[in-house]
Amino acid sequence: MRKSHLSDDRLLEVCLDQASFAAEQQHLESCPACAERGTHLARMLADVTDVTVAEADAAFGADRLAKQRARILQRLELDGRSGRVITFPASHPHGPSLRARPRMRWIAGAAAAGLVIGILADHVAHVVPSRRGAPTQIALQPTGATLQAVSTSMSEEELLGLLEVAIEGTGGASLGPLDDLTPRVWEVAAQ
Amino acid sequence: MQSPATAAAPAPAAPLHRDSEVAAEVKALFVSGKRDAARERFAELVTLLQRRAARIAYQYLRDVHDADEAVQDAFVKVFTHIATYREALPFEVWFTRILVNRCLDLQKARSRRLRWTVSPSPSAQAPTPEPAAPQQTPEERLLSSERGRRIMAAVEQLPERQRLVFTLCQIAEQSTNEVSQTLGVSEATVRVHLFRAVRKLRGLLARER
Repeated sequence: MRKSHLSDDRLLEVCLDQASFAAEQQHLESCPACAERGTHLARMLADVTDVTVAEADAAFGADRLAKQRARILQRLELDGRSGRVITFPASHPHGPSLRARPRMRWIAGAAAAGLVIGILADHVAHVVPSRRGAPTQIALQPTGATLQAVSTSMSEEELLGLLEVAIEGTGGASLGPLDDLTPRVWEVAAQ
Repeated sequence: MQSPATAAAPAPAAPLHRDSEVAAEVKALFVSGKRDAARERFAELVTLLQRRAARIAYQYLRDVHDADEAVQDAFVKVFTHIATYREALPFEVWFTRILVNRCLDLQKARSRRLRWTVSPSPSAQAPTPEPAAPQQTPEERLLSSERGRRIMAAVEQLPERQRLVFTLCQIAEQSTNEVSQTLGVSEATVRVHLFRAVRKLRGLLARER
C-alpha cells in the first residue's frame, strides 16, 4: 500500500480512467481521504457532463432533431444542397452573375481602376499647386468687421467696392496681405 | 470509485461498432450504384449519430442554428464521400472529424462576420434560464438550478480547444486515442488539453462554492 496520498494529477488520471492504475485503486480503497477527494472529483465531472448534455439536449429537442433529420434526407435526395435556407432577395435566380460572365469582371475592374485614377489625379491637381504657393498665410479675424449678405448677381465693380470699404474700416489691417495681392479697381478699369 | 463516464449517464448513445457496420453497408450499396438504397440505409446512421453530433456541435459553436447547419453539412458530406470511408477506422471517428472540421469552418466564418458587426450585449447573447416551473423538463430544471448555471458559466470560460477535447471525451465518450485521431493531434496533446480543462473547471467551480 502507498504511504503518501495521491497527487491531484494522479487522482485525475485515475478518475478519467486513462489507464489501469491498480496500485492507485488499492490506495483509494484503503485511504478515506484520497477516496473522498476522488469521489468529489468524479461527482464534479459527472455534474459538468450532465449539465452540458442537458444544455445541448434542451437546445435540440425532439422536434428540432426530427426536422433536422428530414432536412438531411431531403438534401441527400437533392444531391447535397446548402443547409441554410436563404431568404428571397439573396436567392434571385435571374440576377446578373459575374461568375457566369467572366468578361463582366474585366469591365467592373476597369471601371473601378478608372475611378481610383480619377480620384488620385484630382487630388494631385488640387494639392500639389497649393503646396507650391503655400508661403503666404492669411489670418482672417472678423473682429469689428460687419458681415453683409452678398448677392450672387452682384457685379464685379460692386464687389470690389465692398472690399475697399471693408479694408478701410476698423480691423482692416489684418486684411493687408489680401489687399496687397488684389489689383485696384482703377487699375483693372485702365487695363 | 465510480467512473465519470458511467456516473454521467447521458441519454443512450449508439454502440460504437453498430454505426461502423451500417456505414460499411451504406458504402457497399453506394459503390455498387444502388444510391437510393444507400440513402435509405444511411437514414439509420443519421438516427444513430444525430443526437451525439448535435451535442458536440452545440457545445463547440454555442449557437443552435450554426450547430444545426454543421450537423446537416457533416452528414451530407459523409454520404457524398462514403466511398472513401476506410472500414479500419471506426466510423464515428471519421464522422466526428468531418463534423469538427465543419464546426471550425463555421466558427471562422462567424468570426469574420462579427468583425464587421456590433456584437450584442452579453446579457442578450446568453439569456439566463428562467426559474424552475412545473412544466419544465428535467434538463431545463437542471439548467435553471444554481449549480447548473455555475457549471454552464464555468464551461463557457474554457478555451476553445480545451472545451472541444472535454466535449469529445466526456460527452461524446471518445477515448483519448479516438480524440487524437479525430483532431489529428497526438494522444499526449489530447491528454494535456483534457487535464487542463478539468483542472480549470475544478478551480472555477471550487471558487464559486
